Amino acid sequence: MVISMSWSRFWRLFITNPLWQALAMGLLASLLAKGLWVAAPVTFAAFDWTFYDTWLRLRAPIATSELLVTVVRDPESEERFGPTLDRTVLAQVVTAVHEAGAVAIGIDHRLDHASPASLGGAASDTLFLEALQAAAPVVLVHDSETALQTGAAIQAHLQVSVQPDRVTRRIPIVSVIEGQEVPAFGALLYDRYRRQQPLPPVQPLISGRTSEEPFNPVGDGSLSALPTTTLSVIWEAIHHHDRRQLEERFSGKVVVILPNHLGPGPWLLPTGQSVTSMVPHLHLLNGLLTGNRIGVAGPWSAFGLTLLLASCIAWGLLRFEGSGGLVFAATALLGYLAITAAVLWSVHFVLPLALPVTAAGIVIIGTIAWTHLTAGPRMMLLEQDMLRVQQDAAAIREALTLRENRAEALEEDLEAARAAVTQSAAQREALTRDTVLLQVQMTEARAQEQAARQQLEMVERQLADLRVAGSDSRTLVDTELERLREECRALGITTQHPLMLSMFRDLKKAAASPLTVLLLGEPGTGKELFARAAHRLSPRTAQAFVAVNMAAISPELFESELFGHVKGSFTGAMADRRGYFELANRGTIFLDEIGDLRLDHQSKLLRVLQEKSFYRVGATAPTAVDVRIVAATNRDLQRGVSEGWFREDLYFRLKGFVFRLPPLRERTGDMAAVAESVLADIAQRMGRPCPRLSNDALRLLTAYQWPGNVRELRNVLERAVALTDGSILSRDAFSLDDTFGCGDTERSVASLPDAAGDRAVLECLRRHGFDMQATANILGWDRSTVTQRLKGLCFQALIESHGDLAKAALAIAGDASQVRTVELKLNEYYHHLLHVIEPFRSVNEAVAECKRRFKNLPERHFVSVDLLIRQHLPSSDGVLELE
Amino acid sequence: MLRRLLLIAVFSLCGGARSFAQAPDSPAPQVPLESPPPPPEALGEEHSSPAPASLEQLDAVMALGESRGAVRLAPDDAGHRLQLAHALYRIGDIDAAMEECRLAIKLQPDDAKAHVQLGILLIAKQDWRAAASVLQEAIRLDPGMADAHYSLGSVHYSLGHLKAAVQSYRQALALQPYFPDARYRLALLLKLSKREGEAAQFMEEAALGGVPQAQFFLGNAYKSGQGVEKDLGKAVFWWAKAAEYGNQPSADLLGKLRRQALAPDQPERKRKEAYDAFVAYRRQLWEEFREYSPADDRETIGTRLLNEHRTDAAVATLLREGYALSEVAQSELARLYETGWDNILPRHERKILACFELTAADGFLPAKRTLARIYGKGIGVQQDLPRAKTLLKGLPKQEANELLAEIGSR
Repeated sequence: MVISMSWSRFWRLFITNPLWQALAMGLLASLLAKGLWVAAPVTFAAFDWTFYDTWLRLRAPIATSELLVTVVRDPESEERFGPTLDRTVLAQVVTAVHEAGAVAIGIDHRLDHASPASLGGAASDTLFLEALQAAAPVVLVHDSETALQTGAAIQAHLQVSVQPDRVTRRIPIVSVIEGQEVPAFGALLYDRYRRQQPLPPVQPLISGRTSEEPFNPVGDGSLSALPTTTLSVIWEAIHHHDRRQLEERFSGKVVVILPNHLGPGPWLLPTGQSVTSMVPHLHLLNGLLTGNRIGVAGPWSAFGLTLLLASCIAWGLLRFEGSGGLVFAATALLGYLAITAAVLWSVHFVLPLALPVTAAGIVIIGTIAWTHLTAGPRMMLLEQDMLRVQQDAAAIREALTLRENRAEALEEDLEAARAAVTQSAAQREALTRDTVLLQVQMTEARAQEQAARQQLEMVERQLADLRVAGSDSRTLVDTELERLREECRALGITTQHPLMLSMFRDLKKAAASPLTVLLLGEPGTGKELFARAAHRLSPRTAQAFVAVNMAAISPELFESELFGHVKGSFTGAMADRRGYFELANRGTIFLDEIGDLRLDHQSKLLRVLQEKSFYRVGATAPTAVDVRIVAATNRDLQRGVSEGWFREDLYFRLKGFVFRLPPLRERTGDMAAVAESVLADIAQRMGRPCPRLSNDALRLLTAYQWPGNVRELRNVLERAVALTDGSILSRDAFSLDDTFGCGDTERSVASLPDAAGDRAVLECLRRHGFDMQATANILGWDRSTVTQRLKGLCFQALIESHGDLAKAALAIAGDASQVRTVELKLNEYYHHLLHVIEPFRSVNEAVAECKRRFKNLPERHFVSVDLLIRQHLPSSDGVLELE
Repeated sequence: MLRRLLLIAVFSLCGGARSFAQAPDSPAPQVPLESPPPPPEALGEEHSSPAPASLEQLDAVMALGESRGAVRLAPDDAGHRLQLAHALYRIGDIDAAMEECRLAIKLQPDDAKAHVQLGILLIAKQDWRAAASVLQEAIRLDPGMADAHYSLGSVHYSLGHLKAAVQSYRQALALQPYFPDARYRLALLLKLSKREGEAAQFMEEAALGGVPQAQFFLGNAYKSGQGVEKDLGKAVFWWAKAAEYGNQPSADLLGKLRRQALAPDQPERKRKEAYDAFVAYRRQLWEEFREYSPADDRETIGTRLLNEHRTDAAVATLLREGYALSEVAQSELARLYETGWDNILPRHERKILACFELTAADGFLPAKRTLARIYGKGIGVQQDLPRAKTLLKGLPKQEANELLAEIGSR
């Protein structure tokens, strides 16, 4: 798999990069050219050296070295000494040349045979060896069979390198003969010469390398092209003791003695001459002495140049399509040929010709073919690339959505933090106020304490007097409570709960005041009864008591209902209509479910409370009213203020007298009386004798949590009465919901989400493709409010889908086209929730943290949050279960 | 003249392929040219003079006629046929000589000498393998033939068999201890075998035996210290000996050494080294005449012998000393040249003139002065004043003027 991926990547890189393609084509063409020429080595050699051979024929002849003296046989010497030179003669010549001051001596002579008697025998050989010893070291021609041993001679080879076209152009500098490294004759003499000269040290030509050195021939490359001296002349000088002449000829020179006649030989030179092997070596020596060396690119360099040229041409053909590429290729090829010729002419360096030109030809043909072949796959790859880019764009869009969500979440956190800061500041202020108030109250309390002490002393005195009279204080307290109970019962409030009675007593006092009364408590705790009591106990009892359920009024008709309207103010306003406030003028208006009032309606209500006047719908003049306000709600308005869904100024305006009515479950002592009262009422309405509760039934009812309080109790009792024929209601007559049994307080307080409002928001979101800002604009809300709504809906959907994200997203999106967007948001909300609760091990702590964090999340959605937290945190957590 | 002398010297050094190699004790007509006996007249000469070729050829033709007559009379006589073969060889008809030898062997197959003679002819034809085969057959027939071993040694060497050649020469010396040429040949091969000490020993024995080539090589050995202690005086001694036998390389070396001693452009060290060699040589000449000892520094053995009237050796010794740059000896020789010595030495002796010519050419001033006087006055030669003046060029001005005045007064 990995290999296939890497191959695929490599292929992609290769097919899209012309440079790689050019290199590959260059390499292929070079190898192909090399392979092609293997079949025709003769033509290859001739072609490869064409420039060189032509140059040798056309150029001006190179200089001959004055340092090189060649002693050759001449007809006179042949007549005198015969065709084969006696070693005695050779010895005398060597001695004379050495004594004349030659720096290096080379003789075209081998020590492979002993002199026959006809040529002086052993005497000649001895003389010759003595001469060599005196002139040591003398360079002789190597022969594997050596008849005469001497340490005075250095052996050199006379080999030449014949190329496949049978032309000799190079000489191996070192040749390995029978495992022995033998240097070339000319090169060895040059090294001997260099060693004798006070020249700066240079790398010896012979340094164990086995490379071949091209020789640079003088003229036509024959022996006659070199300056020579005849043996006869030298012999005459020797025997005339012409020391001066000998020194002039040989002093400081490299002397090569050729004792044998050198006619045409088997080796063909580029100039067309056929020579013996000694002649190329002499030309090599002359070239070295005159500094006319010729460089040749080695096989690897030649291949490298070929690869470079072929790749360059291939690149040009790929880069410039059509005729432009061909022009480039032709220019590159001609340029290379020009460089080859220029380099040869200027620096005497032979660049390869055949291989690069062939490779260039191959690559021109091959590249054109390749261009046509790869057009299809390249198009396919382009299409794949486009597809990939499109996929990348989609992924980027998704990432953008995620980033948006993340930003929103962060924004939310920021707002929560700001609210917390504001709240803490407000709390600090309130605390300061409370401190001052408490100090005042403390002072008052101390004064009251003092007064109370005095009263106590007085009472004690009265007590002492009364003891005498035989009455006690307990009777008096019970009497007070009984009186309050009676008053309550008269107002329809059945209770003997001290707190309730105390509250009633305070209500009596507050009823006289025009201040607003705020009643808090769960549904069914008797808020309306208390409101009516406040009216009845107030001086306005003769006036109207108008009860308005704020949650039941349609938002569109809010103003009309509360403030009334004038005729023609809107369609359907056929006549003037007085609103509830106007109806309650001089009386009391009871605003139930005030916590469910919309923010815009809250501001309008606030205005009425402040100004004591309002405008009817369509009216131009305000209407002043004198109304006692009694408000009630089962919601936590304090939290509404902190969460922003209830106006703080309205809250403070309503908070005149605040009464928190305890739920029925906390009034266990009232259960029997309340049940009896309710049963009596039921029996009366049903026209039946009033049944009674058995003790078991009473215990059951007392233990029940009564989330619906008295309203629920009434229903339960109605059902029990209806189902029971006897006069005793036993435990079995009641079928209470077990989920609200003893201890299960968590669910009992749960409230269902506001399904209608959420549905409207969700529809709006769906219509606008879940665009928060657009939805917020339409709804006239803040963007974060919409977000919180959606978040709550998402949590709810998650609970309903049992944690299946996809299903939940589909449920929220409603349409498959928006599933992805919703899924992303849902995922983000869920993970944010998990992130928030991550540090906590306790459900309560986690819930508390969530409530602190998600202050703008509607209360009803915390049920879902709670369930999600419970699902997430481990169920085995015994501590959690207990909590 | 000089060229001819050189050619002859080279020829003699290379060995006589044109004559048979014979053992010294072999009877006539064998002429052992490998180590030719010194002609009496050559003694004391630095350069040998060739024998008249026409007489020799005449003798050879005469001998051939006689041999043919003998063969005609007795065609089955192997000895006559061998003589005919030798006569044919002398006139250069080697093929005919080989034919006669083969006929002789056919007539007398066990004739070892006939085989040897055929072997030598084959050597002359450079047919080494056939020569080796024939010579080995000769040795088989007569193992005691030292000359067969000697010739076989030469053949072995030509074939490149150095060890076999040494063995053959050793065999020849074992059979014939007084065989200077064999010693010389053996010394050469030992020298080629890098056994310098043994080679020098054999070379010295051969030199003492009168082989000029051995003397030349021994001189070389003393010069370079190969196998012997380096001694340039002894080198001069042996080169002078060889030169007296007409050995041109030795004469050349002596000339070169003279020039080295006399040339003003030579380094002083080299000049002194060369000059001291000649002084040592002259001192060594006294040892040949142990009955005499020098009276003073100026006296030479030559002048002593002259004074003692030793007609057998006085002139030859004076010539040796003259060649060895002795001014006293040359002065005495100049007197002898002008006056002669009774009936012993004629006036204007050419050998003395040759000595002056050679040493003057090498730069010896007394010789130049003497020669200038001879040419200026035309003593024994045709008067040649320009040459005389040329010879005076290197002399001190006063001396040259006096000499010119003397010449002019005549």
